[in-house]
Amino acid sequence: MRRCLRFIILGLVVLIAWPASARAMHISEGILPAPWAGLWFVVAIPFVAWGLHDIKVRSRQDPKYKTFLAMVGAAVFIISCMPIPIPGVGTCSHPCGTGLAAILIGPGPTVVITSIALLLQALFLAHGGLTTLGANIVSMGVVGGLAGYMSFRVLKTARLPVALAAFGAGAIADWATYASTSFELSSALHADGSMWGMFATIMVAFVPTQLPLGIFEGLLSAATYRFVLARRPELLKPNVAQTEA
Amino acid sequence: MSQSFELFSDIFAFRDNALSRLDPRVKLAIAAAGLMAVILSSKVYLPLGICACCLATLLLLRMPARLVALRLMLPLGIAAMVCVMRAFLSGSTPMATFSIAGRQLTATREGLASGGLIASRVLGSVGIMLLLSMVTPAHKIFVALRWARMPKTWVETAMMMYRYIFALVDHTSEIFVAQKTRLGYVGFKRSLSSMGVLAGAVMERSLEQADKTHEAMVARCYKDSLPVGEPASLGRHETMITAVFLAMITSAWFLAEGWL
Amino acid sequence: MNVEQPAAAIEARNVSFTFEEGTQALRHMNFRAGAGEFVAMLASNGSGKTTLIRVLVKLLVPQEGAVFINGKNIREIPAAQLYQQIGLVLQNPNDQLFAATVEDDVAFGPRNLGLSEAEVKERVDEALECVGAAKLRSRAIHHLSFGEKKRVCLAGVLAMKPSILVLDEPTAGLDPAGESLMMHLLKRLNGENNITVVMATHSVDMLPLFADCIYVLNRGSLLKKGTPEEVFTDQNVVDEAGLRMPYISRLVHELRLYDGVPVNGFPLTVGEARVRLVELIPPEIIVRGLVEKDA
Repeated sequence: MRRCLRFIILGLVVLIAWPASARAMHISEGILPAPWAGLWFVVAIPFVAWGLHDIKVRSRQDPKYKTFLAMVGAAVFIISCMPIPIPGVGTCSHPCGTGLAAILIGPGPTVVITSIALLLQALFLAHGGLTTLGANIVSMGVVGGLAGYMSFRVLKTARLPVALAAFGAGAIADWATYASTSFELSSALHADGSMWGMFATIMVAFVPTQLPLGIFEGLLSAATYRFVLARRPELLKPNVAQTEA
Repeated sequence: MSQSFELFSDIFAFRDNALSRLDPRVKLAIAAAGLMAVILSSKVYLPLGICACCLATLLLLRMPARLVALRLMLPLGIAAMVCVMRAFLSGSTPMATFSIAGRQLTATREGLASGGLIASRVLGSVGIMLLLSMVTPAHKIFVALRWARMPKTWVETAMMMYRYIFALVDHTSEIFVAQKTRLGYVGFKRSLSSMGVLAGAVMERSLEQADKTHEAMVARCYKDSLPVGEPASLGRHETMITAVFLAMITSAWFLAEGWL
Repeated sequence: MNVEQPAAAIEARNVSFTFEEGTQALRHMNFRAGAGEFVAMLASNGSGKTTLIRVLVKLLVPQEGAVFINGKNIREIPAAQLYQQIGLVLQNPNDQLFAATVEDDVAFGPRNLGLSEAEVKERVDEALECVGAAKLRSRAIHHLSFGEKKRVCLAGVLAMKPSILVLDEPTAGLDPAGESLMMHLLKRLNGENNITVVMATHSVDMLPLFADCIYVLNRGSLLKKGTPEEVFTDQNVVDEAGLRMPYISRLVHELRLYDGVPVNGFPLTVGEARVRLVELIPPEIIVRGLVEKDA
């Protein structure tokens, strides 16, 4: 009887946790112990400062730049709120949008935009949080953004079509974000258990939802990039010139 | 689509009540202290107490319980996941063993206890954030952050992003409705392509908006930075409130940790 | 100097503008608004109205011709000075309201001028009071209705204390009461504060009540310029520019044409038409003093 009860409780917990793992792109408020929360802030701050410096330099060259940046940031925020149906799980997840942002505005400003979006989400959606802001900036803005940007550049240098490069950027940014989120969680929370054991467990828990999600995010990034390129190429031009430079 | 946007509403932050009238810097300082106390707790009492206080205050301020519950759902799920993982992956005293797919999984007492602590911290800190966000509009938080020496570029970008998220949400939901009413979201494949168009349209619109808004700004003497107003200097009243709350939080922490 | 014509507050001389992709939006356009005048531009969609407006406020620089404000070429006026003389209200309020709250948005211009916080506050109060939006002060922009947003846009521009207001379809998308409110507001600014008003619009029914002078644009050039009466009596112009007569004029016109009712003149407003029709009714069947009509 007691055994049975435990099974039911475990089942319930998994039932709540499963959709959560699908949406767990952000580390929730309060999960990280104070030293780890502080550490990730220390890691994140130089990258945000780098992004801010980047923005300052670029807006000196182009007075429109800040407005442009804020608008792209707002659009990426909205795209990251779009629900993605996950086949088989019966729930929805959301894209990160950082890969897309990185190929549109560059990796530095992406960190800044991500930090703002994360603060707004922490405040209004209870996604992520203030204490875990640093960790989330690192996994989404820094790792996700850089991974997306790098893969875009590499794929483009490999003379692949732009859409495919944008697909790669979206998918790789998404997976990199999840890998680093798992790393952040397991390094802080493994306690006396094995850190890599926990890392592997979290990764495995993420795989069934994350694999298709990354592909979806890639498709979405490619579609968005192509749409803008086809309809308003001149809107991307000043920025493309800057990212090339 | 509509659900996340419904959640992303700040209409309550603009309601007039005793807490929304309080200086945002005071609220930020108290919230920061509360968060610190919660994540530094080694026992569940203080986080759970703080969570209860925050939720009670929210109900007293007549915030809709459904919205609060919706916002609590996601962090709760994550807390549960971490709790389960810790129970199975750490600790030494076995409490229960399950065999799933031929593998033996053992839950431990220590693991479950520490998992419970983490879950309580999540509850406590999410409670604080919910209360803060439902009595403080985001732009006031940005002004307060600027006052606390946050870089100007960041604050400027944040303020404009905040404003245009709402403008673009309207535009997005219009396109979404236009697609949906013409069967754009029937079947997985068609949903995918509709969503791609939607995302592209939002991006395109935002780029156009950048041009137009910049023109409007130039026509009002914009000089390469958005001016942020200076908040009034902190009065004695505000300082007193901050000091009282900080003292209360600190002593509650010491009490809960058993140092007193 | 011509006595009838007040000195030009804003004048475009022989302006031509072609977009990069090759569309010629303006061809040798002349435009002039005297100080304190209420000038309207009437045109069908895509006839260069918005381009002319953007040329007038120096957001676009014409390839040919020049724009003068109070006799001075705008190319020679620095931005800070120019935009204290001329204010622009765009058609879509979302393009123009970029701050988070009403107060911040209206304060944007004055703060850019480097005024002290006390002066900024004074200007914000005054501007919001002027458009009847004092209550909206601490509201968030995204919580406002469309009509409220339009008025806040106007307040934001008025806070710069311009002597010329240029508005792109200030009444588009407003409900009838909002439209009437906006037009009376502009008329008051024009009459009491002596602000020159230049507006592009489609609302032909409202215009005769307010505008001193109407410019009719078609395909980037000037089709006709004149008083409302001169413009609307010219059937060719009205047809060619894709406009229509005010409904009340149409009614009188059809009464005359199909029913042979001998109405005098060409009334453009309800008030005028009423006077003209009453003239035709035998005095013995008119009962006066039923309702006290206030002005």
